[in-house]
Amino acid sequence: MKWNLIRTKVLAALTACLVVGVGGIVALMHYSFAHNSQALAVESVTGAQKLFTILEAREISKMTAVSETLIMNPQVRDAFAAKDRARVLELTAPLYPKLKSEGITNWMFHTPEPDMLVFLRLHNPKKFGDALNRFLDKEVVRTHAIVIGNELAKAGFAVRILRPFYDSRGGVTGYVELGEEIGQFIHAMKNQTGDDYGLLLSKKFVDRQFWADSSAMWKRRDNWDDNPSFVVADKTTASDNIIQFQEDLAAVPAHGRVLEYFQDGNSVFVRGLFPIYDAAGNTVGAMFVVRDISGFYLAMRHTQNVLVLLTVLSLTIGMVLVLTLFKRLVFQRLEHIIVVATRVVGGDYETEIRVSSDDEVGQFEQLFEQFRRVFVDLLAHVPEFQKKPELQEK
Amino acid sequence: MSQLYDLKMLIENKIKADGLDAMDVKGKIGLRSGRMLAFITPTTADDPEAVAKLKQAVKDVLHISA
Repeated sequence: MKWNLIRTKVLAALTACLVVGVGGIVALMHYSFAHNSQALAVESVTGAQKLFTILEAREISKMTAVSETLIMNPQVRDAFAAKDRARVLELTAPLYPKLKSEGITNWMFHTPEPDMLVFLRLHNPKKFGDALNRFLDKEVVRTHAIVIGNELAKAGFAVRILRPFYDSRGGVTGYVELGEEIGQFIHAMKNQTGDDYGLLLSKKFVDRQFWADSSAMWKRRDNWDDNPSFVVADKTTASDNIIQFQEDLAAVPAHGRVLEYFQDGNSVFVRGLFPIYDAAGNTVGAMFVVRDISGFYLAMRHTQNVLVLLTVLSLTIGMVLVLTLFKRLVFQRLEHIIVVATRVVGGDYETEIRVSSDDEVGQFEQLFEQFRRVFVDLLAHVPEFQKKPELQEK
Repeated sequence: MSQLYDLKMLIENKIKADGLDAMDVKGKIGLRSGRMLAFITPTTADDPEAVAKLKQAVKDVLHISA
């Protein structure tokens, strides 16, 4: 390849355009994918957070309505006021399976302060008489009003309502508590969005022995050692690969955090998480959100491939067109001038330069043809040529 | 006869022997050497520089050493 040729330089310039064009498209598509996947991840996290809040509010509303109905029931009211555990159990036990099927897994009656012991556990009637001393217990005693919040207890991490129970004269006879496992929320959320979720609990708020005991009770693998700072309480996917987070959950901002997208086999995911607070305002856990964006990724890759193909095709056609034009408009005509000029020097005074156009090269052809005629005329006047016609080349 | 004329004859013979395009070959050699072969006659005086240029042109165009 001769680099001094215009043809080579034009070809090199067009090839550079091709490389820059393809590189630009790939870079643009990569940026677009990163930007859009980030937007999808943000949307996943904020959407999941909103959905979680809605579900939580809906379940709180449900539990409030149930507790309201319970308080209005005179038989339960009187039995609880009389601290007749068997009677309270007899009256409420038939209702518990129905509530449980609706998600209310925890149902307790508490004695009034100062002891505030567990009077009855509908979900575990044989166990009673213990004091829980949780934040919610203290709050309901302090306010004598309904208190709501997430609480991590031995029965699990649940959203709970706790409210005073009154006798017929309006005196506080104790408290009733209803709760729903937050872990079950993620399955409802998956049904609605198709995304995968994981409920993470900070180890700072979970007792190691409690976790081992509850794992045995629920017949699940003890996953305490899987992650350094949290345990996965529940998840909607069988894969543990997609739930990866190395930092402290307390560092997750209130609006959530988007993590980097990642590939697992042929699938591409975006991830993020948002914090979950307990009733005291502690960041006791987080909801991990994973969205499969493989469809979007494949569509983007398809678009990228089509764009690259179209660019290569159009620039290749452009290169062929430009080189063909250069060849016909410039190179061939310059070669003709060179051939005629060479032949004139060789003794061919007859061959003329064809002026094929009035463009820039045509003007040069015309000029060179005029020069050729002057040159031939000059030769005709050279004395040696006139005296010795045999010198004239044929 | 001059060296220049001998070279001219060498060129003429080569063109005839190989059936080359005489105008094209003479033109190329003339342009390279800076001298029209038509002006070289048996009486043309030798000029060492002109001889050297013509030899080089012959070598470049016909690939023969003169």
